[in-house]
Amino acid sequence: MEAVRNAFDFSDFPRLDLWVAGGVLAFLLAFPALPHSSFAMTIMIQFLMFSLYGMGWNTIGGYAGQVDLGKAQYNGIGAYTTAVMMVRWDVPFWVSMPVGMALAVGWSFIIGYPLFRLKGHYFAIATIATSLILKDVFEVWDFVGAAKGMEIPIRKNLPDFLYLQFKQDYYYYYILLALFLVGLLYLNAFRHSRLGFQLRAIKDNEDVARSLGIDAHWCKIKAYAVATAFVAVVGSFHACYNFNIEPEDVMSLDLSILIAMMALLGGAGSLWGPIIGAAILVPLKSYLGDWLGASAGLVGLNLVIYGGIIMLIAAVQPRGVWGMVEAARARRRGGHGAA
Amino acid sequence: METLLPELLRSLVSGLLMGMVFALVALGLTVIFGVMDIVNFAHGEFLMIGMYTTLVTAPLIGVDPTLTLPLAGVVGAALGLACYFGVVQFLLRGPMVAQLLGTFGLMLVLRNLALLFMGSEPRSVHKGWLVGQSWLVGPGVVLESTKLAAAVLSIVSFVAVWWLIRRTKTGMALTATSLDKEGARYVGISTERMNGLAWAIGGASVAIAGGLLVNFWPVDPNVGLLFTMIAFATVALGGFGSIRGAFLAGILIGLIVSLPTVWDAFIRYAGLGDLSIHSFKYTFVYIIYFLIMVIRPQGLFGWKQ
Repeated sequence: MEAVRNAFDFSDFPRLDLWVAGGVLAFLLAFPALPHSSFAMTIMIQFLMFSLYGMGWNTIGGYAGQVDLGKAQYNGIGAYTTAVMMVRWDVPFWVSMPVGMALAVGWSFIIGYPLFRLKGHYFAIATIATSLILKDVFEVWDFVGAAKGMEIPIRKNLPDFLYLQFKQDYYYYYILLALFLVGLLYLNAFRHSRLGFQLRAIKDNEDVARSLGIDAHWCKIKAYAVATAFVAVVGSFHACYNFNIEPEDVMSLDLSILIAMMALLGGAGSLWGPIIGAAILVPLKSYLGDWLGASAGLVGLNLVIYGGIIMLIAAVQPRGVWGMVEAARARRRGGHGAA
Repeated sequence: METLLPELLRSLVSGLLMGMVFALVALGLTVIFGVMDIVNFAHGEFLMIGMYTTLVTAPLIGVDPTLTLPLAGVVGAALGLACYFGVVQFLLRGPMVAQLLGTFGLMLVLRNLALLFMGSEPRSVHKGWLVGQSWLVGPGVVLESTKLAAAVLSIVSFVAVWWLIRRTKTGMALTATSLDKEGARYVGISTERMNGLAWAIGGASVAIAGGLLVNFWPVDPNVGLLFTMIAFATVALGGFGSIRGAFLAGILIGLIVSLPTVWDAFIRYAGLGDLSIHSFKYTFVYIIYFLIMVIRPQGLFGWKQ
């Protein structure tokens, strides 16, 4: 029961953070009732999806400090499990989602074991390689529709809560918001858990952590599995939300890197980081694409600006937005101390 | 056996020649890695820019594509220098994550600038001394002049870079920097300039590889990623930082990429057509990378761990 208590224990945050978080939560709950365009709704759903991806990535990439650039493969496993089970055996989302999660986590143990013998760049590139291998397999595997992918047939009676098919986007929105809140509470508990502390010790100094009796290899594999579970759940949701999935779409390297970017931009290793990152990057990418993309006849310019911003952040503030906030807070506290 | 043997020979020869181009692509990455321990995600984009340089400038100044190779080299070197002094220099101060992200941002910028200016449709070189020429050597084995020239010039570039690094004073300073940064600084070597030099050599060699490649490989803005991954695999196989290793590993990778063709010829011969693995051509490259990293992280010839 301690885990449940920890999940609701936000007492170590400054009061300002909690007020802001409460305000954001109120906004998220009320958003569908506010006047909004359907484009804004799409962006909000994307924001919630990428927050969840980022939160998952944060366990392995942020708390454990292992830069994983292969998360898209688990998104693919989740999405394909749901799609295949729905198309071939008519299985509801709420059954296929846990199955997809289990399959993804199982696969993450299999490849995590050799993967975590690597460190730094070698690890990062190897995660890319594993993801590309799986994508290549899915692109020729007829059972899952090969390169064409899978299309989920539309059901007769909508709204259908079992198969997650709705006419209006706000149903999807609230289901995703519920998953988002569960994810947030889980991570808050994770932060306080034994594994959470072990991971931070490994990130700070792996040799010291191991000398204290922490099994670094096993801890990383466990954190990798947690991250995988998050990504696989969003993948399952993505299959229902999009109806149509294909390898290039759900397992691309771009997605893997975008997932990492959400957490890194916001501030890896903090609870709010991935959410802040998604809140900045998702609208930025969508609106840049809308203003400068194909319609303006300048295909590519939006991604040039986007890449430039990523480069700038990496060069100037690699600890992300939350790193900046914490640095500013430390400065202010330091100022008080001196005075 | 009459149909099988030529097919085997043909794919082996083509694998061998492609391998030498892969080696040249990987050379730049291994030089940069050896000197400064950084992974450049934009490496394939340098190659893409080299390809476009040859494609665009050859008709523009009215010479044969082969003659624009030095220009591609200059453009690549300038690009390498610009990237190092404009971006990478700042990334080195941050954690490893910053380097991965920063060079990834660089990749996005270069790729989409190409998309903006060149459009998304694949383009290829249609005329030139080399294009369309081929010789029949042996039974059924055709030697395309574009690939042969690419392989020969790749060897020339390798020798040039090897000579530069092993036989000149500047090259020795470069080696000193990669062995021990602090020590190099004590004896008066400007490590900043050595880093810049590594990026210039890296950029030039990969852009020349691009100029050679464009004679038989269509170029589009997204061509880079495949070659970045091939270069990573090659460098991992040869050992990060090893020049000799990059050459041998490049040839090995070329042969590995041609293996599925061999296998397909074999099963066609045996009448088992549905066991084709042609579409897994590059998957083997990723698998090799993964296995090498896990089993022998220092590569076949590497000295850096």
